[in-house]
Amino acid sequence: MTVTVLVLGPIVIGLILYALPKGADSLARGIGATVAALAFLLIAVKPDAPDASLPWLARPFTAAFHLGYGPISYWVVLLLAVVTFSGLVALRIPRTREFTAQMLVLQGAMNGVFLAKDLLLFALFWDLMLIPVFLLMLGWGMPARGTRAHGTAAWRYLIYNVAGGLTLLLATAAFGVVNGSTDVIGAHSGAIAIGSVWGPWIFAGFAFAFLVKTPVWPLHTWMPDTYAELPPAVVASVSGIQSKAGLYGFIAIGLPFLNEQMHAAAPLMFGLGLVALFYGAFVAFTEDDAKRIMAYSSLSHLGLILIAIFSFNPIALAGAAVYIIAHGLFSASGFLTLGYIEEREETRSLAHLGGLAAGNPRMSGALMISALAALGLPGLAGFAGELLILSGVYAAGYWWAALLALIPIVIAAGYMLRLFQGIMHGPKRGDLPERQDLTWSEGFALAPLVLGLLLLGINPHAVAAFATEAANVLR
Amino acid sequence: MSYASFATPADINALLPASIVALTALVALFFDLLAPAATRRVLAVAVAAIGLSAAGIILALQYPHAYAAFGGAFLQGGFSTVFSEIVVIATLATLSLGLGVGRDDQVAGSTALMLWSASGAMLMSGAGNLMMVFLGLELLSLGLYCLCAVSARATARESALKYLILSSMASGFLLFGMALLFGASGSIALSALAATKPSLLLLLGSGFFLVGIAFKLSLAPFHIWAPDVYEGAPLAVSAFMSVVTKAGALAVLARFAYASLPPDSANAILAPVWAVAALSMLIGNLAALSQTDMKRLLAYSGIAQVGYIVAAFAGQTVIGVRYAIFYLAAYTFMNLGAFAVVALMSRDADAVVGIGRFAGLAYRRPWLAALMTFFLLGLAGLPPTAGFTGKILILAATVSAGYAWLGGVLILGTAISIYVYFKIVRVMFVRVDEAHVRDERSPNALPWITVAICAAAVFVLGLYPITPSNVLPLVR
Repeated sequence: MTVTVLVLGPIVIGLILYALPKGADSLARGIGATVAALAFLLIAVKPDAPDASLPWLARPFTAAFHLGYGPISYWVVLLLAVVTFSGLVALRIPRTREFTAQMLVLQGAMNGVFLAKDLLLFALFWDLMLIPVFLLMLGWGMPARGTRAHGTAAWRYLIYNVAGGLTLLLATAAFGVVNGSTDVIGAHSGAIAIGSVWGPWIFAGFAFAFLVKTPVWPLHTWMPDTYAELPPAVVASVSGIQSKAGLYGFIAIGLPFLNEQMHAAAPLMFGLGLVALFYGAFVAFTEDDAKRIMAYSSLSHLGLILIAIFSFNPIALAGAAVYIIAHGLFSASGFLTLGYIEEREETRSLAHLGGLAAGNPRMSGALMISALAALGLPGLAGFAGELLILSGVYAAGYWWAALLALIPIVIAAGYMLRLFQGIMHGPKRGDLPERQDLTWSEGFALAPLVLGLLLLGINPHAVAAFATEAANVLR
Repeated sequence: MSYASFATPADINALLPASIVALTALVALFFDLLAPAATRRVLAVAVAAIGLSAAGIILALQYPHAYAAFGGAFLQGGFSTVFSEIVVIATLATLSLGLGVGRDDQVAGSTALMLWSASGAMLMSGAGNLMMVFLGLELLSLGLYCLCAVSARATARESALKYLILSSMASGFLLFGMALLFGASGSIALSALAATKPSLLLLLGSGFFLVGIAFKLSLAPFHIWAPDVYEGAPLAVSAFMSVVTKAGALAVLARFAYASLPPDSANAILAPVWAVAALSMLIGNLAALSQTDMKRLLAYSGIAQVGYIVAAFAGQTVIGVRYAIFYLAAYTFMNLGAFAVVALMSRDADAVVGIGRFAGLAYRRPWLAALMTFFLLGLAGLPPTAGFTGKILILAATVSAGYAWLGGVLILGTAISIYVYFKIVRVMFVRVDEAHVRDERSPNALPWITVAICAAAVFVLGLYPITPSNVLPLVR
């Protein structure tokens, strides 16, 4: 029941918001933030909520509307509730009612992706979560001045991701036909055997979808534009949570059911992960658009998680779980803070910003924490994840990969400090008037994210406990 | 043979729904003679709606009966019943789009023609011999030739003439194929064909027959006529053709593929059909990319959608035909829903509606935009719609029948179609200057009912796919 409410509740309430009168913006925002907060409480209070399942298909394979918590997904939906709350509570955007409605639908659909215990249901929510993002980008996209025509980024996002969603669908159908049931996520992996005839094809279908979603080079071209153009509240949730759906898929579907193919694909995935790691870091170092720097840093960080998953080591996997949550927290707080800055200064170009710290100490502090978490400062969540991943990858015998991965992590310190300096330090730009510092409501929005970064940094064990379960999956 | 044994009550019963639909047309024409001018339109459509509803109810009651009526000419059973029901529902929905077709003084006539066409499609759904196939097909087509021309626009006449000439040619192919098939088996019964030894006659006959059917289904490369004809014809007629013609021809194709070919040569004969289906999915969607007229766009989308349905027949599996029927039902509701939205956006049921008319619709008429988005999601095969469930079922059918490559092509076609359908979604949701948009509304609210019913059906079928179990096409 709890899990059903988590998925359907936000969607239904989101659609009901459309029935509010047109001007009821602050009411809509209040309802949206309340729904997200309630979702958080519901997840936090009942971590052992039972699964909910209803039969769906009986032929040609059995499928069910089966929702339930898994070891990683529990933390991810908790994170999503926090991020949605943070995005909505200090929202200032035209047509708030429609925006909030779409955000809630997005939250429900993404909860569905992570809570689905049935592959077909997973595929259903996978496609469903793309639509609100597309509509949000059409209605509220913020293209940087002088760039492409409005809507181009929305197209790219949709076409890439739906193409992935379709291969996922085909692979799911094949999986169902071969296995007889798609109601498998979280089931004991020994019971499922996908033969070597279909295995590679099914894996290829899943892997394409997951790699587009993550994304990795060379399938990433939709990502920088999307992240740069989306309003901050949406990008927090898309980069923080939606981009983890692919990695989650590799862990929850790939490892248990397509283990053989995962092992076979490991060299390729290592390569893709390393390329993403380096490429993202280098491009982030050269970009001028602050949001694009964050976007490319995301590409780099998620490459690291990909390597962690494909090293098949329990410690690395625990690190991946911690880093998935940590990255969600710092990329959400980073994008939200950049959004607040852009809202005030009406630019996000480093060349046009500078010296804001003097007049905006609170804003500067918020950006500093996100940047430090992103570059892996010990004591914050990012460090815990990176350390676990690197030691796991090393322990798995890939010492060279661990060594190589250190380089972009050092570069990360460079580009994150460059971002911070470019905006906050340096000579004050004459053409930037004094603006208001971070308001209370904005601080209230960022507080849970920062708190999460600290807590997870001090005690990553809460999330890493997943490692013991992961060890059963790895053969 | 006595007269009594020639047409038993069971025979009559089998043809009852089609007969009711055909006779309702006469009743509508008769009432039109007596009706005062102001009520002619409403009366004709009301009579048709009552007749169609009666036929629909009788069909639903007949679902479990299987009977070979008139010596096997009409095969009543779950298969024919489901197809006929789809035809009846589609006809009802079509009549609601503009409250009939044409001017007030044309409505009774056009309604009668539409009902006769529908009864032709119903005959095709149960046709057990070649004569009945041809009879049904011609009954269906003759009405449509006239219906295409019921419009003041010059393009309507062009559309009608084009359809008449090309469709007659296809009928010629079909008839020639039938003649050869008759030569091969010595009987007009489809069941006799299944027992024939493989021969050149059978091969050639099947080839011509399938070309004729592919033309009526507007499968690529026999699809060129469809966009032009749809564009010229009145909106309701395009909607009618997009579902009813396809349903009738699909029923014949399914019966031919599943039950009328010698088992050992069936796969060889049908191989080109799957290739044509694959081609349709790609060409239909690719050509739809550049369309700006809604009717043309939906015509091309229909070409691709039929490709998906035919793909489900590949390998002639039992689940294949069930899922094809499910997808046809889903397509019926999604497509008619989209047509009904278009009808709601034009003052005159005969208008040309370009994509530009949808600009900023989400801000002017949010409900209509939301529903249109829902239907387009369905046509694109995205959740939470019957289109999504239908696609997954067809994919499963192709994979389990050993035609996974068709599933791959289906995915490729669908990927292209995303661009087609989301082009409209994008236009609706991007903000525009209101002054530049022509905001027209339909004078009658009837299409709203159709839109609501279609949306509900698409949603419910998406969550709970009811696939009829008793639907294997028979030949005996």
